[in-house]
Amino acid sequence: MQNALLIGLSRQMTLERQMDVIANNVANANTNGFKADHSLFEEFLNSNAREDNFIASDRRVSYVQDRGTFRDVGQGPMEPTNNPLDMAIDGNAFFAVQANGGERYTRDGKFSLNSTGQLVTSDGNLVLGTGGPITFQPTDHDINVAPDGTVTVLEGTAKTDSIRGKIRMAAFDDAAKLTKLGANLYDVGSATPQAITRSTVRQGYIEKSNVNSVGEMSRMVEVMRSYTAIANLLQQQSDLHKSAIEKLADVPA
Amino acid sequence: MQALHTAATGMAAQELNVQVISNNIANLRTTGFKKQTAAFQDLIYEHVRRVGAQASDQGTIVPVGVDIGGGVKTVGTPRSMTQGTLSQTGNDLDLAISGEGFFKILMPDGTFQYTRDGTFQMDNQGRVVTAQGNPVQPTISIPNNASGLAVNEQGQVSVTLPGSSTSAVQGQIGVTRFINKAGLQPVGNNQFVETPSSGPPQDGTANSEGYGKVTQGSLEQANVDVVSEMSDLIAAQRAYEMNAKVISAADQMMQSTTALFR
Repeated sequence: MQNALLIGLSRQMTLERQMDVIANNVANANTNGFKADHSLFEEFLNSNAREDNFIASDRRVSYVQDRGTFRDVGQGPMEPTNNPLDMAIDGNAFFAVQANGGERYTRDGKFSLNSTGQLVTSDGNLVLGTGGPITFQPTDHDINVAPDGTVTVLEGTAKTDSIRGKIRMAAFDDAAKLTKLGANLYDVGSATPQAITRSTVRQGYIEKSNVNSVGEMSRMVEVMRSYTAIANLLQQQSDLHKSAIEKLADVPA
Repeated sequence: MQALHTAATGMAAQELNVQVISNNIANLRTTGFKKQTAAFQDLIYEHVRRVGAQASDQGTIVPVGVDIGGGVKTVGTPRSMTQGTLSQTGNDLDLAISGEGFFKILMPDGTFQYTRDGTFQMDNQGRVVTAQGNPVQPTISIPNNASGLAVNEQGQVSVTLPGSSTSAVQGQIGVTRFINKAGLQPVGNNQFVETPSSGPPQDGTANSEGYGKVTQGSLEQANVDVVSEMSDLIAAQRAYEMNAKVISAADQMMQSTTALFR
C-alpha cells in the first residue's frame, strides 16, 4: 500500500520540475532568440525492491522520472526593427560570439558597436566573423549585411562598398543538444560546427522567442491539475490507511 | 518551488518593458527623440542531469539533459538610432540633421552635450542657442540688424547685412558623430553626453565624409512608431499576465500539498 504513495510522490516531483521548465519558458516569452524547453518523462522500474523467487512473484513497481528536457529549436517569429545592426538568422544556424570562457553561440541578434567600433552583443561579447571580430571605421555609414553574412559599408565620401567582414554562422547536427549557459548563450561542448547550407542573415530583424504561449498555458493547467489529482489520491490513500488501522485495531471491550 | 521565483523574474522584466514602452509613447512628439527597446536574457541553468554524462555501466551517455532555467533578466535598454522623419516648420532657425551626427552644445559648466533636436533660437547677444539658452558650437553670432538668414547643407550660416546686397557667412554649425552613438547617455532635455562606450566625439563638417546634411526649416521627429509600440505594449501585458498565471498555478500546487494529511 505504501507503494502507491511513493509512485504518486515520484510523479509529483517530476510535475514540479515540469512546472519549473514551463515557468522558465513563460518568463522568457519576450527574450530575443530564446528557444523553449519541454520536459520528457520515462518509466522507472524499481528492480531492487522486487523478488521473483516466490511462486507468485512481486509485481514490478514502476515510478516516473524525468529523462530530460528537449529543446524546441524551431524558428522564432521575425520582428522588423529597421535597426541596421539588428540581425536574425533564418534557418538552423547560430551566431558565433567570443564570450568569457571561449567561443559561444547565440540566436540573439540584438547587436551594437563598442567604443572601438567592433560589433558586439548586448553583453559586450564580440560577434565573430569568418576572419575574427567585425570592426567598423569611424567614418563608415550605410551598413549593409547580405544574406550570406557579408558586411559592407560606405566609407566616408566613397561611393563604393567596402567589406568589413562576414558574419560567421555555425550549424550543428543536433542543436537540441547544445547546453544553455544563460545570457542567451549556448555551449556546444565537443560538437563541431557544420557547413552552412540553408541559413541566411536577415538585417534589420530580430528573432523573438519561440515560446508558444497557448501551448505553455495549456500545459501549465495540465500540470497543475495532475499535481492536485495526485495530491487527492495521496489523501485518499492516507484516509484508507487510517480507517483500516482504526477498524482493524478496534477490539471490542 | 522554483517556478514561483522564475515567474517573478518574468513579471519584473515585463514591468520594466512596459516602463520603456510608455517612455517611448510619452516622447512620441519629442523632437529628435530616439526610442529604446528592452532586451532580455535567460538566467543561468541548473543542470539536474547533465547532457553527455555517463548514463550506465555499459558506457551509454545521457542524450538529453535535464536543464532547469531560473528565469529572465534585463540586459539593457538599447536605443534605436534610426533616422526620424523630418517635418517642415518654415522657421529659419529650426535645423534637422538627415544622416549621421549630432549638434554640439556648450553647457554653462564648460562641458559639451549632443542633441538631434535642432529647435534653435537667438539669445539677447545674437547667439544661436538651444531652447535652454545654451549656445550651439561653434558659437555663431548674428547681428540684430541682419536679414535673410540661411543655413546650407554644410551648416554654414549666412545673413544679409544692411547696406549690402550679398549675403555674408557668419559661421558654421558643427556636426559631431560617435562610433557607437547608441552608447551615448541621455541626460534629459533631448541631449546626450559621451560615455566610455560611445567612443570619443568626432567633430566634422555636415554633408561630407559620411556626416549627415543639415536641413533648414525642418525638425526631426521622434523615431517612435506608435503602432509597433502599441503591439509591443499588448505583448508585454500578456506576458505579464501569463507569468502571474504561473505564480497562481504554482501556488495552487503548493497549497494542495500543504493541505494533505490535515
